[in-house]
Amino acid sequence: MFPRRAKGLLDFCMAALCVWAAYHHTPAGALLRKATAWATGTRSTARPLLAYYDGVSGTAVSAPLVAPDVPLMRPLTDAEALAWGTHLALKSMDARARAPVVALASELGVSTASLLDPQDGPVVARRLHAALAEDFPGEEARLTALFAGRVPARYALERMQAEGGTPTLERLASQLPPGFEGASVGAAQALALATAFGLAWPVHERARVTSPFGERFHPVLGRRKLHTGVDLGVPVGTSVVAVADGVVRRASEDAVNGRVLVVDHGRGVTTAYCHNSELLVKVGEGVARGQRVALSGNTGRSTGPHLHYQLELAARPMDPLKFRTALRSVVKDAAP
Amino acid sequence: MPPRPPSASPSTPFLTDVSRFLGAFRWAFMPLGLVALVAVGVHSAADTLDERLLSVVDRVDAAFDAFVGRFELTAPLVEWVSLEQRTRIARFLALAWELCADLVLALPALGYREASAPAPVEAWRAMMEPQPVQPTWRALWTRCWRKPTPMRWLRPLATAAVVLAGACAVAKLIQGSVYLSWRELFGDAAADVAARVLALAGLVGVLASLGWRAVLRNLQHADAVCEEAGGRRAWRQGLLGCGVVVPLAVAAAVDATPLWSFFR
Repeated sequence: MFPRRAKGLLDFCMAALCVWAAYHHTPAGALLRKATAWATGTRSTARPLLAYYDGVSGTAVSAPLVAPDVPLMRPLTDAEALAWGTHLALKSMDARARAPVVALASELGVSTASLLDPQDGPVVARRLHAALAEDFPGEEARLTALFAGRVPARYALERMQAEGGTPTLERLASQLPPGFEGASVGAAQALALATAFGLAWPVHERARVTSPFGERFHPVLGRRKLHTGVDLGVPVGTSVVAVADGVVRRASEDAVNGRVLVVDHGRGVTTAYCHNSELLVKVGEGVARGQRVALSGNTGRSTGPHLHYQLELAARPMDPLKFRTALRSVVKDAAP
Repeated sequence: MPPRPPSASPSTPFLTDVSRFLGAFRWAFMPLGLVALVAVGVHSAADTLDERLLSVVDRVDAAFDAFVGRFELTAPLVEWVSLEQRTRIARFLALAWELCADLVLALPALGYREASAPAPVEAWRAMMEPQPVQPTWRALWTRCWRKPTPMRWLRPLATAAVVLAGACAVAKLIQGSVYLSWRELFGDAAADVAARVLALAGLVGVLASLGWRAVLRNLQHADAVCEEAGGRRAWRQGLLGCGVVVPLAVAAAVDATPLWSFFR
């Protein structure tokens, strides 16, 4: 195929390219990198193996990360939610990964310290978003621009448009070469957190929180156990609404959760609604924010009528109250 | 005596010398390149399947919960797999699936041996020491038609799809790396053109250098296995492997092969 005299060189180059791609972009390559690091006693730069399948690598959001240092005093607008998500994601990143954001902040005359300040951080993040909004109207592209830089984001956006399809953070990240993994993770965390801040509440706002998120003494099992959501005391038949647009991932019934609904909102955010008396949607059905999806009940392992509402970010249960402003009163030691 | 290969003349260009030197190590880097190309392609395909796997795991878990929840004794098993664990299970399945597909499609590539044109030998030597002959494309193709088996057809086709996805992934990497690193040196327009040209060259080069060899090697492997089994047993050979790689191959062809994007 190639000119005979250059064949050896060209074949070598092509093989080297493939080995380079496999080394950096496959779990098999990660295994090799980990083995090499183990053999040489160095630190591996490979991602965890399962992170190769979580949309954007390593999007796991740690629990302390989502707790704003300053309590939210009022409901957030979409722009504010995005700014809060950005601020919290930035706090979790190392200095090197924050470089593009710091560069943009310097461009706007904002000090680096204020980016991480609990009071000023969200305000500064909003300024950064505003500065990018004209060039990157979509939230995914804007976050990529913020965390990876304008040029890589524009390139990723153009390539993704050339491929066709919807602009998701995962697809944008897939266009970027090695070296942008940290930026992609930061953007994914920011988007997941922002989406969580923007969620509605599944029942009326007056519903009491009868059991909060966290370790508790389980009233039925009689032992300490992590309560992975919040229990909202509402009478049987109360309307349960979707907290955001999404797709029903699970609509089933079992002895523990009763009639349970799991809705995937994308961007790494999933919500679950348990112990319902009736489910009004089916698996695979798209739901809109505010749409009635179930009627609350007392099914499954429950000692009284209530809705167990669970929020998961990157498949990890989170306290939904951390993302709320109005619902701060919690009745402790009440029946689940 | 067979004629000696022509030796390099003193005026041979440097690149030709380098090429000849590297060519001496084809036995090492070609199988590695083939394995790497298949691994990249398989991962591109597996990456598009994780969400579907999650949906399958969800459905299986829902059915399991409904079943064990019927009985008092088994009801606690409902909590055996939490929402978080379901996601981990789906990802683990995707990883296991990918590594299995790597084994099925990439391992035969490790047996790749460069076959040069047969050197002329004396008549008496050819009679006394018959040389092993690798089947040609034509011979393999003929056997595929005359003695069709799932392995003979599906493995090379799956390899072709995966290799195409792998070549696209490599080309994407080249394009991104070249554009973003050359932009400051040569300017936006020049870097863009260079990145596009090099990505296309990489795509074509990988397919021309390694792609067809990966397909041929899998076809040879499938043919040898089916020939050895013979008759009806050949039909049952490698069915499990085909089951593993065919869905990935479909995903590779449908979702992971943005060929036209390189021209836009």
